[in-house]
Amino acid sequence: MTQPLTGHCHCGAVRVTLEPGVPVGELPYRACQCGFCRRHGAATTSHPASFLHIEAAPGSLNRYRFGRRMTDALLCAECGVYVASTIEVEDRRLATLNVTGVALGGFDGRTPEIAIYDDETDEARLARRKARWTPTVLVETQPSA
Amino acid sequence: MSGDAFTWRAGGCHCGGVRFEVALGERTEAQTCNCSMCAKTGFVHIIVPESRFRITKGAERLAEYTFNTRVAKHLFCADCGVKAFYRPRSNPDGWSVNARCLDSLDGVDLNLTAFDGRNWEANAHELTHLSKEPA
Repeated sequence: MTQPLTGHCHCGAVRVTLEPGVPVGELPYRACQCGFCRRHGAATTSHPASFLHIEAAPGSLNRYRFGRRMTDALLCAECGVYVASTIEVEDRRLATLNVTGVALGGFDGRTPEIAIYDDETDEARLARRKARWTPTVLVETQPSA
Repeated sequence: MSGDAFTWRAGGCHCGGVRFEVALGERTEAQTCNCSMCAKTGFVHIIVPESRFRITKGAERLAEYTFNTRVAKHLFCADCGVKAFYRPRSNPDGWSVNARCLDSLDGVDLNLTAFDGRNWEANAHELTHLSKEPA
């Protein structure tokens, strides 16, 4: 089994553990070109066979919605770092993780693939996310590490 | 710097709550940085003197984060988290503007170099001149 990858925002209030589920080199690595991702310098990963655990200190998460307002962008309220975007679909939480924001290991030397989603319909967007995003648990608790 | 014509260029965070203007010349020095903070925000630095930067909207929307020596004042929009500019430790007399947050890079000739912020103490002197006001 591939080893879990870990990371955190700058101040450490929000921590993530990604169980890759596939070899780390096979995880997608994408640079979305929307105005939000560009300003955050985001490069993200998601995979339906992965599992993402997000642990946030109480009160440390700022949820930002924009555009079609389908998605919560999770920001650290303390240091501002963009951690992940999540949606809830059929009682499941799915996410794409900002590798840049949490300095997730395993992506050094890789160049993210440019991704442009501007022309998607809402239905296509939801279908893509259901097919590609990572099953996720978000726990608001005092981080143990 | 005499003879260099500056043009005021606008930019801001994602939600539009915070806006700024920065005066840039024909060719603009810009730096990526590999320090723990810049790496996580993907910040692309354009460091300017105090007189070439102004906040035009939303100063009250800014949240401040400091760490380590607490000299740098890391500022970000409390709504969308975007760090459009801040007071850098290398240049506390000036500002560092995030090139990613300019409305347009059309006509902005960026000379992008990599600053080794992981070895900040050894390298910070390379940046000091960027915030000096013209004599």
